[in-house]
Amino acid sequence: MKTNNSINNIKSMTFLNTNAMKTTKLFLSAILSLALFASCSNDDDSSGGGEPNEDEVITNVTFRFVNNADASDVVTLLSVDPDGDDGPLEPTLSVTGAFNVGDTYTATVNLYNSIEDEDITIEVTEDEPDEHFFVYGINGLDMTFARSANDIERMDGNFLGFETTWTANSAGTGTITVQLFHESETVDSNANEGLGAQTGGSADVNITFSDVVIQ
Amino acid sequence: MKYFLTSMMLFIYGFHYAQNCDFTLLGEIKDFHDGTPITAANIYIQELDKYIISDFDGKFKIEELCKGDITLVISHIGCETKTVTISISGDVFKTILLEHHIEQLNEVAVKGSSRVKETKTAQETILKTETLEQYSHLNLGDALKEISGVSSINTGNSIVKPMINGLHSSRLLILNNNVRLQDHEWGVEHAPNIDINSADQISVIKGAGALAYGGDAIGGVIVIKPDRIFKKDSLFGKTIIGGQTNGRGYNLTSTLTKSYENGWFASIQGSFKKNGDFKAPEYQLTNTGLQSESISLRTGKSTFKSGFELFYSYINNEIGILASSHIGNVNDLITAINSQQPAIVRDFSYDIDNPRQEVTHHLFKATYFKRFKNFGKVNLQYDYQNNNRLEFDIRRGDLRNQAALDLTLQTHTLLADVNVDVNLDRKLNFGFLGRFQDNLAPNTGVRRLIPNYEKYDFGAYITSEWQINDDWLVDAGLRYDFNRIDAFKYYQRSRWEERGYDIDFPEFEIPRDDISGSNIFTNPVFDYHNISASVGARYDIDIENHIIGNYSLASRPPNPAELFSDGLHHSAARIELGDLRLDPEIANRVSATYKHSGSKLNIAIDVFYNAINNYMYLRPTGVLQSNRGAFPVWEYKQTNANLFGTDLTISYDFTNQFNWLNKTAFIKGYDEDDQPLIDMPAFSTSNSITYSNKDWYNFSASLKSEWVLEQNEFPDFNFEVDNPTTGELQLLDVSTPPPAYHLLHFYTEANFDLNLKSSLNIAVGINNIFDTSYRNYLNRLRYFADDLGRNITLQLKLNY
Repeated sequence: MKTNNSINNIKSMTFLNTNAMKTTKLFLSAILSLALFASCSNDDDSSGGGEPNEDEVITNVTFRFVNNADASDVVTLLSVDPDGDDGPLEPTLSVTGAFNVGDTYTATVNLYNSIEDEDITIEVTEDEPDEHFFVYGINGLDMTFARSANDIERMDGNFLGFETTWTANSAGTGTITVQLFHESETVDSNANEGLGAQTGGSADVNITFSDVVIQ
Repeated sequence: MKYFLTSMMLFIYGFHYAQNCDFTLLGEIKDFHDGTPITAANIYIQELDKYIISDFDGKFKIEELCKGDITLVISHIGCETKTVTISISGDVFKTILLEHHIEQLNEVAVKGSSRVKETKTAQETILKTETLEQYSHLNLGDALKEISGVSSINTGNSIVKPMINGLHSSRLLILNNNVRLQDHEWGVEHAPNIDINSADQISVIKGAGALAYGGDAIGGVIVIKPDRIFKKDSLFGKTIIGGQTNGRGYNLTSTLTKSYENGWFASIQGSFKKNGDFKAPEYQLTNTGLQSESISLRTGKSTFKSGFELFYSYINNEIGILASSHIGNVNDLITAINSQQPAIVRDFSYDIDNPRQEVTHHLFKATYFKRFKNFGKVNLQYDYQNNNRLEFDIRRGDLRNQAALDLTLQTHTLLADVNVDVNLDRKLNFGFLGRFQDNLAPNTGVRRLIPNYEKYDFGAYITSEWQINDDWLVDAGLRYDFNRIDAFKYYQRSRWEERGYDIDFPEFEIPRDDISGSNIFTNPVFDYHNISASVGARYDIDIENHIIGNYSLASRPPNPAELFSDGLHHSAARIELGDLRLDPEIANRVSATYKHSGSKLNIAIDVFYNAINNYMYLRPTGVLQSNRGAFPVWEYKQTNANLFGTDLTISYDFTNQFNWLNKTAFIKGYDEDDQPLIDMPAFSTSNSITYSNKDWYNFSASLKSEWVLEQNEFPDFNFEVDNPTTGELQLLDVSTPPPAYHLLHFYTEANFDLNLKSSLNIAVGINNIFDTSYRNYLNRLRYFADDLGRNITLQLKLNY
């Protein structure tokens, strides 16, 4: 038995020595080829991977009210944020025109990405109305709000809030807020007298226009 | 038969030369490392079936030998048994070298795994296989919380980042089989890409004591080691199957290892893990599913003098992020916080929808070592890692299937390490490191959070360990690191100018006429030189008590997120801005440990003080308005921070069967204005009572109480914003930590021997027995939902 062991040991020892040399060589060549592979597989870093396109940014939000009785009477609420959501420039808000007491206006919203020259409105109204929802806010103004009869109806029966009707009841100055939510869990276009309410969505638009005048 | 033939041959051989039997063999047995003679080694002369013993000088003499081969089997306590064959054709003198500290070389078959610490004077704790196996269905970060002073910072329950003494992410080094993990580790929501099942043992070193691994471990080092391979013919493996009620999760992991006495080995390990939506006590946590697959392969050959290893590991994690945590702006966040429960609660599902992460990590390593006599061991290593991180957000239209964040990080590292162990009382270790890293961020339709960059690192270190006498051990180390980061980044021109970079860094601007005027292309290049050092001592008071003291200096350059972050972070509803002007942070950490290891009572007390100059952290600096609403702006700032604390572990055996274990951690952190630092773990203490009975199938059952106090020291980063519906101001409370909580857990297991070689372990656990609702300050989704409710787990482990 012991002799048997010794022979095996001798065999394995010689086997070890030649093998160790072989594996050393193998190992070194493996490293070399890997290092070569590494240096060849470099990419076009110097271009920074290409100029970033910002496909989802909404730079211009235009909220246009047209007097139902007089198409030339237009109130425009405009917010322009040329560098997008995370750029340091704050949006420039402007209100042109004033509402007339007693008149009813139909409003639509336009969403535009000036960085990529992209019309976002159709993405909301045509492509994915069921995943979007407008919620409005009126503060300090005596107005009656309704989602227009021509407004887009979602699959769940709620109205998107893209086209809305606003009646100016008495003179005053206040604010109008427009919010657009994406992927809300629940929406209700009848809540808050039609201004709408939602839960669980994330805001794509949230702008408060102040100094809106009814005269 | 063989035996017979061999005897016959030897007999004939012997007979033939019978008349020449007057040769002498003079031998000398020495230690391989330092050449000292080995006294009283046992020498078995196979052909003569006779034993002799080496003398005081390691010498021996065999007389009246015949011509031919003689086989000696030499053994000595603590040495590897060695067989040598000597050809005798006259008088011979032969020196035989024995390996004298085999216990360090993983080559003795011991029961269980003998655990070797990475450091001598640092605050190091080792987690054993048996502990890690309890976490088979969980994450690395969950398992590490077994160690007092280690907590975790979570994003939900599947993204768990370890935190050591209040520090995490880039301040921790994680080594997987001696490869430093490079996986975009700077992000709080980027969990380490490690399959806990691939680890056989994990060492956690608090602070920067382990300089060989890196000089920037301001928080600590986590060393993950795979199964140790023993030099013997064997085939063994294990399989773990588990199921969990919460999330209806299941997991499977299997390992198989084949080893040979000649040193060759091969091992394969794979895991699969899946769970659906978790459940808080009162509601389902929608979209918190997880699917994870991993595999690792190892092969190589290891003998005493040389060896090599090839290692490959792959892990792919797909992790759902709580649906309700996706928010658009500050108002959404206020709504979420005030509603007290998630807005999106749906029925249980295994589906993983957006927002989600998909991360794939490949690691390849080749290592070779050779031992030189009278010198020591030289180790060469090359490793390659490829980490692809995809983060899918809720996006409009066709973009919904495209990741918003897509980063591929490739890292090549060459490492040379030399261990000089000629003199075991004066060990010396030095080495060099070269590393190249490339981050690739293709266009995803959103501004890159992290730009394309190339990073070059070079490091050199030397450490030494002196055993002064039986009671005193001293170690010291020094390390230098050079880092260059070479980035290519498109800034918004408005941001570049708003930061004042056009004045401070005009040299980085690269004029290009093929891009829009609103963007500016830049090539920031930064070089950092970092010095780190460590010195420590250990004093053995007596056989049961010792104390350790350690001082370490660590230096960490800013990471790409700290330098270049620039954009909206949806999951946090905040704009995060890096700063090109950041300086490396420098930590001076002093620590002391007292350890008592008695027959019944074991105590470990760690205390530390960590003064971190230029500590980089995120803090809100204002609110930025956009068409999307308001976002708080969080900027990376620097302060001189002070952290101090105590970690306590006490274990007491009341009887042979009842054990009480307490782990308590206390930490405080302040900035230079004595304001508390954000995200510091609250005081926590856990107590467990374990009953165990070795005679009864190794049965054990334990009840654990986990008590976490409310963090009452926190920076107040709250602010007020307009409510879009009412127009009134409302408070955004992102700062106030959740209240204290107390949880009870139960765990029991037993072992059944199936036959000589295989055994079955059955374990049942109940986490959060009373289904208590709670939120954890260090969970970033605490604003949106409660933590996990009761979870009953069953695990079967088969060893074979």
